[in-house]
Amino acid sequence: MAEERKMVNIYIMGKHYKVPYGLTIMKAMEYAGYRFVRGCGCRGGFCGACGTVYRKPGDFRLKVGLACQTMVEDNMYLTQIPFYPANKATYNLEELTPTLSTILQYYPEVTRCLGCNQCTRICPQELKVMDYIAAAQRGDIEKVAHLSFDCIMCGLCASRCPAEIVHYNVAILARRLYGRHIAPPAKHLAKRVEEIKAGKFDEEIQKLMKMNKEELQKLYNARDIEP
Amino acid sequence: MKIPYFPGCTLHSKARGLDETTRGSLAALGVELVELPEWTCCGTVFPLAQDNYIGMVAAARILANAAKMEGGKLATVCSFCYHVLKRVNYAIKNNSEARKKLNDYLEENYGGEIETIHPLEICKEIIGLDAIREKLKRKLKGLKVACYYGCMLVRPAAEMNFDHPENPTIMEELISALGAEVVEYPGKTTCCGSYQVLNDMSLVKQKVKEILYSASARGAEAIITSCPLCQFNLDWMQEKLAEENNGFSKVPVLYFTQLLGLTLGLPEESLRLGEHYVDPKPLLLGA
Amino acid sequence: MYTQEMQEAIKIVEQTRERRLKETFPRLKPEEKENLLRSYHPDYKPDATRVVKVGPNKGDKFTHEHADLLESRSMLDPDTFSLDNIDFDVDVLVIGGGGAGTSAALLAHEAGAKVMIATKLRHGDANTMMAEGGIQAADKENDSPAIHYLDVMGGGGFYNIPELVAALVLDAPLCIQWLESLGCMFSKFPDGTMHTIHGGGTSRKRMHFAHDYSGAEIMRTLRDEARNRGIPVIEFSPAVELIIDEYGQCAGAVLYNLETEQFLVVRAKTVIIATGGSGRLHIGGFPTTNHYGATADGIVMAYRAGAKLIYLDATQFHPTGVAFPEQIVGQLVTEKVRGLGAQLVNAEGEQFIYPLETRDAVSSAIIRECKERKKGITTPSGMQGVWLDSPMIDIIHGKGTIERELPAMFRQYKRFNINMAEQPILVYPTLHYQNGGILINDKAETSIPNLYVAGEASGGVHGRNRLMGNSLLDIIVFGRRAGMNAAERAKSVKLGRLTLDHVKRYHEELRKEGLGQKVAPILLPDYRGKISG
Repeated sequence: MAEERKMVNIYIMGKHYKVPYGLTIMKAMEYAGYRFVRGCGCRGGFCGACGTVYRKPGDFRLKVGLACQTMVEDNMYLTQIPFYPANKATYNLEELTPTLSTILQYYPEVTRCLGCNQCTRICPQELKVMDYIAAAQRGDIEKVAHLSFDCIMCGLCASRCPAEIVHYNVAILARRLYGRHIAPPAKHLAKRVEEIKAGKFDEEIQKLMKMNKEELQKLYNARDIEP
Repeated sequence: MKIPYFPGCTLHSKARGLDETTRGSLAALGVELVELPEWTCCGTVFPLAQDNYIGMVAAARILANAAKMEGGKLATVCSFCYHVLKRVNYAIKNNSEARKKLNDYLEENYGGEIETIHPLEICKEIIGLDAIREKLKRKLKGLKVACYYGCMLVRPAAEMNFDHPENPTIMEELISALGAEVVEYPGKTTCCGSYQVLNDMSLVKQKVKEILYSASARGAEAIITSCPLCQFNLDWMQEKLAEENNGFSKVPVLYFTQLLGLTLGLPEESLRLGEHYVDPKPLLLGA
Repeated sequence: MYTQEMQEAIKIVEQTRERRLKETFPRLKPEEKENLLRSYHPDYKPDATRVVKVGPNKGDKFTHEHADLLESRSMLDPDTFSLDNIDFDVDVLVIGGGGAGTSAALLAHEAGAKVMIATKLRHGDANTMMAEGGIQAADKENDSPAIHYLDVMGGGGFYNIPELVAALVLDAPLCIQWLESLGCMFSKFPDGTMHTIHGGGTSRKRMHFAHDYSGAEIMRTLRDEARNRGIPVIEFSPAVELIIDEYGQCAGAVLYNLETEQFLVVRAKTVIIATGGSGRLHIGGFPTTNHYGATADGIVMAYRAGAKLIYLDATQFHPTGVAFPEQIVGQLVTEKVRGLGAQLVNAEGEQFIYPLETRDAVSSAIIRECKERKKGITTPSGMQGVWLDSPMIDIIHGKGTIERELPAMFRQYKRFNINMAEQPILVYPTLHYQNGGILINDKAETSIPNLYVAGEASGGVHGRNRLMGNSLLDIIVFGRRAGMNAAERAKSVKLGRLTLDHVKRYHEELRKEGLGQKVAPILLPDYRGKISG
């Protein structure tokens, strides 16, 4: 970073700062002097802590990005939304059935969807949020699970919904229903667990545990590798 | 040929029989219904207020999505969905204010280019009743059938432009092509009470009673419809009517596509005849 | 978006691609690997470490960054801080709300204990959330826990503690099944068979995954389950010191509410440290893949209380951190990219290392390629890197594979106008994992009575180098064990008077050495006014 950097103007919650061009919003805020407590988590686009909304002068549209994954632009007026209240149902997954009635029992508000599509427009992961809510409305749990899989639960969808739906909580219910009750269980896994419980591998492992470095090294260097 | 298809939420849950027999029957007749890759609820009710555009956005987006597919048409069979989609399309096409407002909320511009089409229309106008007759595996010899339209398919006439608003005949034409005997009765466009079933069950019971007595008195052995809610009201209410009325005789209420599928030889399990309250199997499949 | 120069450089990679598709670069022989590591791995840089002058590991070498923390004083003044007012009184206190901590809390809850989680940021803000590649378990027909054992030992340079490795490999299938039963959406074939692939240093394809959101899928599922069970989670309240009772047992912790800046006293019959790693210390000045809170807090607290550390000087560099674009330098490019067939290629378009050697070896080879052989590619900001030829994946497995199997990676690059399905990506090693930590046994116990450790904060299971897919496994295996054992132990614990006497003693030791000017744990890194971070 030896070369002279171009500077841009940003407005953090309305307050003006000059920051180097090319930084992410997160690094720009830190450059400006912020030390995050909220609004910063994994810094890698996975945790949903740093959802940020912004506007540019003369453009009525609200824009969105994860602060850790979005570059600052000149004249950006931004604020983070690190938390948004959400209704989260509590349930015992084991006892549930993967049906429409389960979704409607815990989140009846999904039927209030107006189809405005604001949730999809604001999603920083570019998920088809409204479409998975539509799938939830008709009990297509598998479709909800797949369409919502990349959700990072930042909560921006819920902040925009005129029907007051908390999309990401509907989605995780659907994904867990799918994983537990729709996707077929792995047979090889169940078999191996039984074998381990029966002590099938204990003797072999104990033998390895007693070996010294040289013995192990010999075995290790001679092991065959699955192509 | 392929036609884009909007099933509607109910056809993915309570009315799977309507969905499967619609797709299956039309496929047997050479028309493949291609489900829209993404679709939402149509909104169910067309807004009573003319300027309530938020209630039309979902339907507008569905139509816009259909416009991105090949074919220029969008088929849907549920009477509610058909009603909403067709009227919203009409508004977009004929009302510049509605078109502008709705497009403000759509991701891509849409001007009402799609033709919404009902499987009854596909049968009559695209496939042709003669062609259907040729493909039948069996006929509904002498089965006395009353066709029930309710409100949503036919009214308001100017916007729906479906058939005669008070005395439609398109379902009768199809069903007689299948070999059934049409029962004419005055209740075929009487409202069944619709979603009042949630608020005022006695009202719905009264309406259903009128319709059923009107059809039965003229010898109907089965009633057919294209609407999941009409089907539910007419079917489910019969248990209560039988409890309260001596001598009430139950009559199976089916989707017209179930009879179409039956005559086209669709596998019995795909007809989903077992999912109705009044069991139609003794009548249709014999003892 | 690549610069003109970089686009020119990419053409060289494209020219050799067809030929390379048929080439397998030879694997390193054991002595070659040894030499490579000694010459180029950052751990072996003579000025990277120093001897620590205080505490249970006095006389051992640690990285300067870790040593600085161990030679710092507490945030609390043990002479004046009062433990009389107890804010929370529980059976089991779990410090850390990541994958290990949440697994521990779930198992402790299942065992009937009154359990509470205290965490520095939000529940789930942890390296677990960021783990992309997968989780190992020997559950296929051609595999066995014994083969897994051997892979783990070899990967760790045979420094691993045998009883911990045995626990890891024997619990592995059980843990995958537990996650499956909680509804984790592992990638499966239609018949339920799980997809498994190789990771660096594995001899069997035993890496289970959920696209490239493996850790996120596990973390959000565990978190949802903890919420369903009503386990209390105190967020934005890191522990800053352990409490030891008059009998020398661990008896709770002092939390610091980052938002209100108040201290909270938690009395607990058993304590589980699950505070994770230390990437945000930026050891050796490297960028890191780690989350914002990875600052070794648990290590500092446990060390002061007398717990022994092991292999803390062994740092894992992930060979493929982002080298370009500058905005996301240091972020993770999952090993799965290589698992699916992408090769590492230098400026001349040639391979220089078998892509699935262990991480320490691949990292060293990349450093050698750039620093010694001068065959790296220089970015506009002056950083060096080598190409990871990602378009090979779609050529090998069919178009669309990258978007389907690596959606997070694809999205990350797309945000900066790079299509990794069509253009290679530039990578350089990045600080990824703390191989060592607080020494535990196979019950997750430390040498301090009633103190347990699970996950990246612990040490011994991975030796000096962890294999891909064994950290997600580690957090579940030892998280569960810690939770179970801590809950069981809590039933018979009788606590005495709460004290911070160990802090007094530690401060005295520091004073004698003329140390203790700084305060630790540092809780959060400080990037104010800086451009990197």
